[in-house]
Amino acid sequence: MRRWFLRFGFRGLSAIAILACGTFARAEDGATGDDWPSYGGRDSAWRYSALQQINRSNVRHLKTQWVFQTGKIDGGLNATPVVVGGVMYLSSSWNRVFAIDAVTGNEIWHYFYPNPREIGIGYSPWNRGVAVSGGRVFFGTLDNSVVALDQKTGRELWRVNVEDMRQCGCNITGAPLVVKDKVIVGVTGGDSAHRGYLTAFDVKTGRKAWRFWTIPGPGDKGFETWEGNSWKQGGGSTWMTGSYDPELNLVYWGVGNPAADFYGGDRKGANLYTDSLIALDPDTGKLKWYYQEIPHDVWDFDAAFECILFDATVKGVKRKLLLNVNKGGYTFVVDRVTGEFVSAYPVAENITWIKGVDAKGNLVGRNEPPVGQPTLMCPSIGGGHQWNHSSYSPQTGMLYTTGIEWCQQVTVRPEEPREGFNYFSGVFQLKPPMHGEPGGHLDAYDPVTGKKFWSYRAKYPLLASQLSTAGDLVFTGDPEGNFLAFDARHGEKLWSFQTGSGHRGSPISYAVNGKQYIATPSGWGSSLAGLLPQLWPETEDFPLGSSLFVFALPEEK
Amino acid sequence: MIAIAFLLAQSAVEPSMVARGQTVFAQNCSVGYCHGVGGAAGRGPRLRGRNLPKDYLDRVTHEGIPSSAMPAWKGRLSDADIRAVVEYVSMLSAATDAPPPMMPMPAGEGPATARSFNGPPEAGRGFALFFDPTRDHCGVCHSMGGRGVAIAPDLAETVSKSQADAIALIRSTGARKVVRVKLNDGESFAALRGSETKDTVKLYDLTSAPPVLRTLERSEVESIADDPSWRHDDFVQAYTAAELSDIVSYLRWAAVGK
Repeated sequence: MRRWFLRFGFRGLSAIAILACGTFARAEDGATGDDWPSYGGRDSAWRYSALQQINRSNVRHLKTQWVFQTGKIDGGLNATPVVVGGVMYLSSSWNRVFAIDAVTGNEIWHYFYPNPREIGIGYSPWNRGVAVSGGRVFFGTLDNSVVALDQKTGRELWRVNVEDMRQCGCNITGAPLVVKDKVIVGVTGGDSAHRGYLTAFDVKTGRKAWRFWTIPGPGDKGFETWEGNSWKQGGGSTWMTGSYDPELNLVYWGVGNPAADFYGGDRKGANLYTDSLIALDPDTGKLKWYYQEIPHDVWDFDAAFECILFDATVKGVKRKLLLNVNKGGYTFVVDRVTGEFVSAYPVAENITWIKGVDAKGNLVGRNEPPVGQPTLMCPSIGGGHQWNHSSYSPQTGMLYTTGIEWCQQVTVRPEEPREGFNYFSGVFQLKPPMHGEPGGHLDAYDPVTGKKFWSYRAKYPLLASQLSTAGDLVFTGDPEGNFLAFDARHGEKLWSFQTGSGHRGSPISYAVNGKQYIATPSGWGSSLAGLLPQLWPETEDFPLGSSLFVFALPEEK
Repeated sequence: MIAIAFLLAQSAVEPSMVARGQTVFAQNCSVGYCHGVGGAAGRGPRLRGRNLPKDYLDRVTHEGIPSSAMPAWKGRLSDADIRAVVEYVSMLSAATDAPPPMMPMPAGEGPATARSFNGPPEAGRGFALFFDPTRDHCGVCHSMGGRGVAIAPDLAETVSKSQADAIALIRSTGARKVVRVKLNDGESFAALRGSETKDTVKLYDLTSAPPVLRTLERSEVESIADDPSWRHDDFVQAYTAAELSDIVSYLRWAAVGK
């Protein structure tokens, strides 16, 4: 086999993107090369690799190179690995972090943070990833601490407890985002009686640099969107990872649902900045703009998932855009300079909580569940789309994302907030969808218009992230353990590999010494995995796991 | 519901107790992503049809499962509510059918409430201030009643004094245990000592709240010496005199119950 050119030049790629689909997108904004340096690939969260040694014509020859076991299967493996200079950094459940030789799979170091035994876990045992920058590896813990490790040795450099988790009912499962000299970290707690925030720490000392409260306090603009004391326990968690645009010097983060989740009678008002996209100055934490996708949410439909930063021509005008797929099953596209609404379109077919989104971004036909009466609502609390991340390919100009078809009966039940406790004010039971079979699908869209190019239907919700590559491939995994490769342009399934446990993490691509690798977590687990048996009883017996599989093409003989 | 009614008929348990258990379960156990309506499973394991022994359910409900998402409900729910929910879960656990459809839940049924703060009002206000999550509060360095982060000296000494003397002590430098750390790269900060090894020293950096536990190699450290210049009052100033008085009332109540 001839050695392939690993990459186009960036300019070449950009030109092809323009010719191919009429959108433009500079690959240097978001494409990864040899490294996969941050959670979303690069800080624009494309999850797109410019590597193309592995492509549509040879993907069927992929062979397993090595497998890494994290040793703790509780909660599965939900992470995105990071690769820098031939070393992979992987986090897993119960505060485990590993540095692994990305060629051999041999461990270089590990760091296990012992969670205080007397402290339970507020939300979950899993961890979704680390940030690597300036010789340090950063991650959050189950007892709500941020930890900095020495990148070479794994030695702990500093650790700061952000808030007592026994009090807040919150912890950190999302990957931090490093922007210049600050590490920015979110928090769970959106379904607890808790006031959410985003905090930045100095990378060297761990000292708090700023905090942005996702719920304004007395005297702050937006405080008037909360009733009484509801702002103190109104949720608004920041449980996923944000993005960063260095040109605009803005950090973008999605904010989760308000609490109580299902009952809004105690928090009348729009409830800013829950279910909002926020743009902050990373140096000060000051709000530049916000866009609220769902004013006064009563469905638990977070806007917390990733913010994909890309550029495209909209009605003849070049725009800097931000794309966020809402848990309620709608994609929102806004101008990332101003926060102005651009477009919205559904990614799920069974949606009854609204009738639609109008041309200005307003929700039309809100369907709020009444108190006390079981009510069918679609999608379920699990979402028309889950947190597992989408991918944007500048080469095809397509967004690759997932939708889920399922509904629930929800019964709203007002309750008093209790510090450190869940604060849902209601219960739910999963139900099949009103139209068609329950299940999931992977779809390719025009990211701005929502025009669908292709769709792959799956028996179960697809709960793993997508990876797209310049080899015109899209990778993802399913709950049955299959790791899948698709033709990025037409959606044909080209290859699959059974990893033995379901997929809930995020695949990546990287290269070392001119050889391209595809890596994927395999390891069933998570809240959603726990809910699936309500509709698919057989999934209760699906094997758990927590391992990382790495694939490459066979060596030239 | 039919299955529950059938099981109920076969047992000697008070129907009202099971009904209460169902209410408590709905609010605390099936809620959100946990055990699901009818114990059908969620993030928490399925309870329905598991045939779990009642003594096991009783123990786990009281004590929780360490290092898991299952909390200890002792102290969070009343003893009567814990007994009721254990009875209810025991019945779910014996059920062999699928979870029944959800029934309407009248709003007037009354939610289960946790035990509230039962000290005097000024102590209650002080408690809220001590752990006020919306600002930098005492609990980011001090532990009280099993809450807060226990890195700073405990407050027993403070509470043995009179109200006025306690406030004065809190306002004073309180720097007896604070050290000044100088690093070879020129950085300098106030800190509390943590553990040490042959090669490393752990220090709680007090420059900002919350404090940062830093692990330094001895070769990085130029000196560690007492720091009489550090002032606890810099943090205390965020509280008014009235608030401080309430906080001391809370500390005294928490420590000696008065």
